[in-house]
Parts: sequence; C-alpha cells; structure tokens
Amino acid sequence: MTTDPHEVAPVLEADAAARHNQDAGPILRLQGVGKRFPGVVALRNVSFDIQRGEGHVLLGENGAGKSTLINLLGGLFPPDEGSIWFNGAPYSPASPLEAFSKGIRVVHQELNLLSNLTVAENLLFEHLPSRRGLVNYREMNRRAAELLAEVGLDISPSTVVSRLGVAQMQLIEIAKALAHESKLLVLDEPTATLTSKEVDRLFEILHRLKERKVTTLYISHRLQEIYEVGDRVTVLRDGQHVTTEPLKGLAIPDIVRLMVGRTVTDQGVFREDIKPTGEALAVEGLRLTETSPPIDFSVRNGEIVGIAGLVGSGRTEAVRAIFGADPKASGTIRVNGRPVAIASPKEAVAAGICLMTEDRKQQGLLLEMSCAENITITDLKRLSRKGLLDRAMENAASERLVAGLRVKTPTIFQKVGTFSGGNQQKVVIAKWLYRGSSVLICDEPTRGIDVGAKVEIYELMGQLAAEGKGILVVSSDLPELMSICHRILVFSNGRLAGEVPRAEFDQNRILSLAYEEYGRVRGN
Amino acid sequence: MSEGTESAGERKTATVWDNFLRISMREAGVAIALVIIVLFFSATAPYFATPENFLKIFVQIAINTVLAAGMTFVILTGGIDLSVGSVLALCTVVGATIMVREDLSPWMSIPLALLACMATGAACGAINGWVCEKWKLPSFIVTLGMLNVASGLARVVSDNSTITGLPQPFVDFGNQIYFGVLPSIFLIAIIVILIGWFILRFTVFGRFVFAIGTNEEAVRLSGHNPRIFKIAVFTISGLTAGIAAMVFLLRLNVGSPIAGIGYELNAIAAVIIGGTSLSGGKGSIIGTLVGACILQVLATGLQLLGAEDNVKPIVIGTVIVLAVVLDTYRNRYLRKLEAR
Amino acid sequence: MTSFSSDGRSLSGVSRRRLLLAGAAGSLVLVSGVTPVFAEAKKPKVGLVMKSLANEFFKQMQAGAEKYAAENADKFDFKAVGMKDERDFAAQVDAVENFVTQKYDIIVVAPADSKAMVTPLAKAVKAGVAVINIDVELDQEAKKKAGIDLAFFGPDNREGALLAGTALAKDLGEGGKVVILEGNPEADNAQQRKKGFDDAVAAGKLQLLDSKTAHWETEEANTLMTNFLTKYNDIQGVMAANDSMALGVVKALDSAGLSGKIKVVGFDNIPAVQPLIKDGKMLATVEQYGAQMAAMGIEYGLRQMAGETFTGWVKTDIKLITAADL
Repeated sequence: MTTDPHEVAPVLEADAAARHNQDAGPILRLQGVGKRFPGVVALRNVSFDIQRGEGHVLLGENGAGKSTLINLLGGLFPPDEGSIWFNGAPYSPASPLEAFSKGIRVVHQELNLLSNLTVAENLLFEHLPSRRGLVNYREMNRRAAELLAEVGLDISPSTVVSRLGVAQMQLIEIAKALAHESKLLVLDEPTATLTSKEVDRLFEILHRLKERKVTTLYISHRLQEIYEVGDRVTVLRDGQHVTTEPLKGLAIPDIVRLMVGRTVTDQGVFREDIKPTGEALAVEGLRLTETSPPIDFSVRNGEIVGIAGLVGSGRTEAVRAIFGADPKASGTIRVNGRPVAIASPKEAVAAGICLMTEDRKQQGLLLEMSCAENITITDLKRLSRKGLLDRAMENAASERLVAGLRVKTPTIFQKVGTFSGGNQQKVVIAKWLYRGSSVLICDEPTRGIDVGAKVEIYELMGQLAAEGKGILVVSSDLPELMSICHRILVFSNGRLAGEVPRAEFDQNRILSLAYEEYGRVRGN
Repeated sequence: MSEGTESAGERKTATVWDNFLRISMREAGVAIALVIIVLFFSATAPYFATPENFLKIFVQIAINTVLAAGMTFVILTGGIDLSVGSVLALCTVVGATIMVREDLSPWMSIPLALLACMATGAACGAINGWVCEKWKLPSFIVTLGMLNVASGLARVVSDNSTITGLPQPFVDFGNQIYFGVLPSIFLIAIIVILIGWFILRFTVFGRFVFAIGTNEEAVRLSGHNPRIFKIAVFTISGLTAGIAAMVFLLRLNVGSPIAGIGYELNAIAAVIIGGTSLSGGKGSIIGTLVGACILQVLATGLQLLGAEDNVKPIVIGTVIVLAVVLDTYRNRYLRKLEAR
Repeated sequence: MTSFSSDGRSLSGVSRRRLLLAGAAGSLVLVSGVTPVFAEAKKPKVGLVMKSLANEFFKQMQAGAEKYAAENADKFDFKAVGMKDERDFAAQVDAVENFVTQKYDIIVVAPADSKAMVTPLAKAVKAGVAVINIDVELDQEAKKKAGIDLAFFGPDNREGALLAGTALAKDLGEGGKVVILEGNPEADNAQQRKKGFDDAVAAGKLQLLDSKTAHWETEEANTLMTNFLTKYNDIQGVMAANDSMALGVVKALDSAGLSGKIKVVGFDNIPAVQPLIKDGKMLATVEQYGAQMAAMGIEYGLRQMAGETFTGWVKTDIKLITAADL
C-alpha cells in the first residue's frame, strides 16, 4: 500500500477500467447458500446474483436472514452449505480482514469504531501513514480531513470518537469505507440514525460511488429511500429467497407484501377511541445543566406523546434525565399528580416510570442471559419469597408475555443475544410490561426493526395507551410519530422548541421547529 | 403406525442422550480435565492412588477452595479481589490471638474467634466494595491497596510473630476425619461451596450477581442499584477469607502475618480454570471447586512423580492455560449441541 | 568443619540393617526423574524440605545435599523439595505431608516457620519418620506441646552475627556509627541475627543510628541504604543480616562514591560477595557451611534410624570470613 494519496486515484481508476473491460458477469453470485444457528435456520438455499456496478437493495423483515447474509460476505463465519462467487472466483474469506482485502467492505449496523482513538486514527486504522514505524500524524490528519469533507462532516480529524453522536459515528463508518475503495460496499441500515440532511448527503456519496462503478448492497427498513439508491431488489423471508427483480415498477405496498407475505398497512394504528384523561407524567422546569433552558411538558393517561428533533437536540438527554439515568440540574417531576424525587432509575421505576433505551444491546438487555431472565429482571421481588426465586412463577410469567407479544423464540430459555432486533425490542417491552409501569418512555422503539414488527409495536402502544398508560415516544422517524401520536413535542438544540397537536400535524412545520434553534444560533 | 412410534422413541432417546451430554458438559465442564489428570497421576505417580493421598489432597485444597468460592462471586460481577491472601493472614492472627487467651475457656474463645475471623474478613471486604463504588475505582487497585493494608495490620496485631498454642479441642477438630473419608476442614470447604452454589442458583441475589456481570448498565436502567450488590460480593469475598482463615488455623494450628502470601492468585486461577469468565456474567461455583482440585492434584501429583521443583511451576502454568483453552472448545461444542 | 568421611564409613552398617527392615515391609517403589523405576535394592528414602531456592544460601545447601546423595547413591535414595516463596510455609507443610504419603524414612527440614512447622512434623514423627531439623530451630514450647522432642542441627545465628558485628566494631573502634539491615521481621534467624548484632553494638560500644528491615532482598536493601545515606551523613558501618542485602548496600555505597569508606558486614558467605571482600568493599561475612548442613542432616537421620538418639542443639560450624580467608 502506497502512502501517497495522489498515487491511489490513478491506480484505482485503472483498476476500474480493467474491471469494466472484464466480461459483464455478476460481481457476486450466491448458490444454494444455507446457514444454521442454535435453534434457528438463518438461511436456507439462497441463490441470487448482484451485477457489476448496480445498486442492489436487500430487504426482509427482522430475522429474515439479512444480517446473516451480510456476515457471510463480511467473513465473520462461513456458510454451512452452498457457495459464494465473488468477481468470478470462489469466495470464502476466513476473516473480516480477508473479506476486506478481497474488496468487500461491510459497514455494520453496530458501529465498530475504536471509541478512545481519534477520528483520523479510526478512518485510516488499517493503513496508518507511517515512516519507519512512526505514525505520520500530519499526513494522517490531512487525509482524514479529505474523507470527512467527502461525507460532509464538519469536525476536526483529531476529535476523539467517543465524544461524537451516533449519526456522526455512522458517517465516519461510511467515510472509512471510502478510505479503502472497495469493489462491493455493503451498507447495513446506514440511515437508521441519520437526519434527513445527512441522508441526502449519504445518497450523494452513493451516487458518486456508482459513477465509479462501485457496486453497493444496501439494507434498509426505510422503504421510501431505497428508490434513491437501488436498481434491483432482493427480498428474503424466513431465511429463504423470495425474489430478485428490478425496483422500477415495484410500489412500496408490493414490497411490503413480498417481505411479510401478507398485506400490512400502518394506517389505522392510531386509536381514535382513546380519550386521554388526567395527568400521567408532568415535567416542570427540567434543566439538564445549570445554564440550559427549562423544559416543561406533561403526558396524560392514555396519551401517546412524540418527541421529535435532530439527533443531539437533547431529546434523548431529556428522557434519560427524567428517568434518572443521567443527573439533572433541577426540575420537578410528577407521576399521577404526585411529585417524585428521582435521583436514579431505581426511584423512577418505583414511581412507575420506565425507559426503553435507544441502545437495546448496550443498555437494555442482558444479551448473555435468557429471555425469561431478561423479562423478570425489572421485578424479582414479585417472584421470590425470602430471597428465593420461584422459577415456576418466573417461567409462567415469561411464557405469558412472550406469547402475548408474539416473541419468536423456541423457548424462553434462549439467550436474547441470538434474537433479531424486533424480537429483542419485544423483550424490552415485555420486561417493562412485567414491571407494570404506568408511564412508558420509548427512545427509538422501532429502530432497526422490520415493517411487520413495527406495526405490531405500534398496535401494542395503542393497546397500552387504551389501558390508561402515558406513553412518551422519541423517534427520528417523523412519519412514525405522526401516525401514532396525539401530540408531538419538538426539540431543537437543547430547547423544547414547540408542541404540535395531532390536528395540526404537518411535516414541514415540525421540521422547521426542529431546525429553529440552529438557524438562530447561526444567525447570531 | 408402529414405525412412527419407534422413530419417536428413538428421537426421545437421542434427546435424553443430548440432554445428558449437554448437562454434563455444562455442569461438569473442566471436571473432565480433572478426571484425566487424576487418571494420569494414578497410572504414573507412586502412592498417588492411595486413600491416604486422596485424604491429604482433600485437606490441602480446603483453604484455596473457600477463598475461591468468595472470589467466584466477585469475578462473576466482573471485579477482582487481590486482597484475600493478606485478609486471610489478618484473620488468622485475629482468630489465634483470641483463642490463645488464657482467661477464656475454649468453649468461649473458639466461637468468639470464629465470629471475629468472619467479622474481620467481612469488614475488609465491605471496605473494598464501598471504596470501589463510592469513588468508582477499579477493584484491581482498591483490593491491591487492601492487600498491603491488611498485611500491615496483621503484622501489627501479631507483633511480627507466629501465634501458637491454640486450644486442644480446636486442634482436635482440625484433625478429625469423619467416616474415614471426610476430613473436617474439607467438610467446611464443601459446605461453603454448597452454600455459594445455592445462593447463585436459587436466590434473587444470585440472579443479580450474574446480571450485573453481564451488563451492569442494563441492571441499573432496570431500576436497581448495582452498587449495593457489588459491595455485597466483596463482603462475601472478605467473609470467605475469614472462613478460610479458620480453615488455615485448623490445618496449621498457627496464626501468622505471613500466611496467605500469593493465595489470591491461586484462588483466581481456581475460579478461571473452573470456567468463570474474567469479564463476568458467566461461570459456576462448582467449576471453581473443580478448578481448585485441579491445581492441588497437579501440585501433589507432580511432587509424587518426582518432578523437579523448577519444572512444577512450568507444568502448572501450562495446565492453567490449557484448561481454559479446553473450556473454549467445550463451549463451542456445547453451542453445537444446543443448536440441535 | 564437620568431616563426613569417617562417619560415612559407619553408615554402610546402618544401611544393611535398614535393608532387612525394608525387605520385610515389602517392595518399595522408587522414583527417579518423572518415570517410576522399580529398584532391586531397598534403600531408605530421604526427603529434604528446603526454603526458597531463589536464595543463594539454600541453593548451596541443596547442591551440597545432592552431591552427598550422589556420592552415597548406594546407601539411600534422595529427593529435595523447595518453595517458590520462602514465607509460604503452607507449601512446606504440603511437602512434608507428601513425603509421609510416599513413605519416606527420613525427612530433613529447614523450617520456614519455627512454630507452624511443628504440627505437621509431629504427625510425620508419629507416622514413624525420622525427622531432622536443620537451619532454623523449631520452637521449644510448640515442640513440647506437640509431644515431640527433636534435636536441632544448625548454626548459632546470634553467635554468627556477633562475630560479624564484633569484626566491624573492632575496625571502627568505640563510638563508631552503624546501621543495621534486618531480615524478615517474623523469621527466627532474622531475629537471632538482629540480637547478635545488638550484642556486638553493646559490646563494642558502637552507636546505633537506625535498624530497619529490607526483607532479605537486594533491591529493597539498596533503596533502604540510599535512604539511610540521605538521612545520616555520618554512617561508618553497616551490618546486613544476609549477603543478598549486603550486595544492595555495597551497590548503594558505590553509587554514592562511599564504597570502602563505609564498612559493611554480611552473613552467609555467598559466592557473589567474595570478590567484594577481596576488593575491600566489604569487611566480612559469616560462613555457616550451608552446603554441609543438609548433608549432615541426612547423615544424622541415618544414624538416628540406626538407633542413635540426639537431643538439644547440635551446633554446626560457623566461621568469620575476611579478606585474609579468601
């Protein structure tokens, strides 16, 4: 690998030209690929091709086998049966590094950044510019700055990654893929955490890559956006290949039908019949820091209130402070009319508040423990006598919730780490239902969850609201909020910028509120 | 019809066999390694396969087993306790000082010493846990500090001398062998292990120990205070150091400020060989018992075999690592079994 | 110095008698290396339980015993066991128990702790093993309590320290200012040597500036001496309770440009200090014939098996070593 970036481009161009001259056979071919995991068949006899230079979209519900397929390509594990051909040769990488050196770059949904290192170090980690073993920091930062400019990130290359937001980290992952031009770029839900502006920027980058004849395999749950990047689409369902066909001519409802095997709409998930009463949660004068603006709002019983705003606008920070997960500077919180002192999640849970965190894996679940153990962790007192666990009671309670929420698992003793995103989220909901909280705060409850499961979760929220619970939903997916909420609170740069009732729901109005404070800051 | 029932029957036996394999692999785990080592020494080392030798090994593993039982709790939550060896030393001198007092009858002084040992150990452990949690410090550092503090205290209490002259009933109890196969001090170790197993398996507290080791933040955000539990596991570790000190007194009949040097590493080794993950959340206390057995069987077996002093640590070190390597294969096989 | 040649001859008779005894007991399995070898002759088995082999003195002791065993390979079988850490007396207890299991006839032991080792050794005695106590004497009272009466074969540490201290006192003259580096405070020989040094200070009318432990360690002694030099600018002499510490002291003096000016005495006469004594960087050390001590222990063990009884303290030789002796 040469250390001079000016030499890289011509080489790659020549390479691209050579590739263009090759026969136009598929860049990737899967034949009868199968993969089994404990308790599940993840992939069964999957065969399809990806053509050179195309934008290929891979769709499927959670648990359909998309992640497994990506991990096969990324060299995390080999298939149990079938074969994969890449660029005309059999492809069986023994490690992610080998996959990468053969020209397949996977940008995973879970970010794989080294959080204690700087942005520049992360971007160029595989090939740090160096001289005699010493890192050339000047050169490294210069090249990192170029890459950052390309993905439109306005941060210093020497920023430590742990200080960045999730969206920024996602863009860095993409910039990292750009740093080492790959023949096949696999993007696993790249837009899940991005704001629409950032999404636009990403698509711009993808278009540019396409001009350079880089093939992309694109996975997303946001069906609206796949038309921007895709030429053809492959749909998986229950580990099996359903179809591979041109995207043109396929409407969203068609795709959804292919994915779920039945017709689903997210129309009518809003429960008109619920009439909110009383006050479930009230927040008065909440300040995250001494100097931040105060936040006041309330949620009634039976009401679903949305919180919109850009990533980093303070919405997650606010709900975490309400729950006591992070300290707050001041503010009063009332639950069902009674003021409660919340210094830690313990008091919040005791008062009847629960928080389903944004990051299920790191903060919500005990991945190495069983489904049942995850559900009952919120209230072990209930199934114990004198400190001894009553396992029969635990299993019965878990079985009931697993059946009620339709969690797909062979047994309640399965480790939740092996579950798909949607099933994991259901376990998170189950654990709070088990606790019987009266105020539910959900931070990005449907992130990384497929269409079918999303609707199930919306219906569940409606049902819980109908039972008189107060529900607060934080989401980046504005259409989602608009379809399920009574009201939407809009955060902008740490301030509660406004509140929009259902009758006045309007995407433009909400977005302009969300950007309000940023405009003002720049204006000053 | 008959074909159907037959195949169902076959499937049933297959599942029973699978279940047996799964349970034995999961629960027995490194016990397989222990059996191999015991068989090896029985075949090669003279006097190894004798009742006297096994009785002696039972006695020899007792101290480390008790220490490692408490250590298992700490490691399961993702912590480490480096202070157990010198806390043991402190407890032996405290216990011995009480027992040698002329003004107390043995029937007063022995229970009093037992209580004092356990209280001293538990107090040291509680301080470890409290300091860790109060200032959010890594347990490695805090318990390293306690290692030195307790060692110094032991020297102060004992005035740098070995304390002898424990009451005769106490000494006699230490030499007791029940039914010809069960030395009293081994019995104590087994009781400690059983209590630990019961707590980890059947109590709410045990569930929290595993949960905190798996994901402390998730436990906190589920509305609990992990700190209390973490302080508790260090207290347990200190308590078992106190009990181990009593075992030490029963076995060697002396309290000494230089007792227990390096014991913390033996205890940690027993826990890790027993299949408990250093990062927490996974493991078993029965495994810890097996780990302690492996260490002592190796040490004794090698000596009986006539191995050079300098060769012994090389073999023991290699086996520690091998046992853990074997464990990763066992886990892989277990996962495959579960996939069926 | 003890001479072994004359006593050694008388051993053959002992061995023959032992042969008969062992023959009656049935065949014995002997151990050599890692493979068991079935020996045709039934010789008594002798086990040596040592302290830390990282310590030069015990290394010499073991080497001496092994040499003696090799020379008398026809008379007895021999196995030595050492500890990783000389303070880990529980490991020593294990070693004693293992020798008993293996039905050893003689156990020669240098106890890591004078009190703690009494109980397990008493058990060995009751199992019919001839136990020989060398190097550090087992605690009298503890022995009495355990109901055993073992003789002690070893040097007088207090006397040895007095020899070294007196040599220093003579060199410095009355009023000489000295510091003492002690061994492990809980170790019996450290306590004895400290007493011997104190005796020398009193007898020679020296002025004792300070006395601290450096736990027998070279590196710790180096640091301690450096600190002493900072604290007191008029030190004239140093008494180190073993030679490992004396090495650290000499290095500290070298660094301060004071070697030869401040006089140092040590204990043990390990090979590493001999050139220092020749060069005048050290004044004297004490030889306690470690190499012979274990061999002598074995010999006494064989004699005890043959019917002789020993009681009390059988003192082994000590000798002051100065440049004149090298």
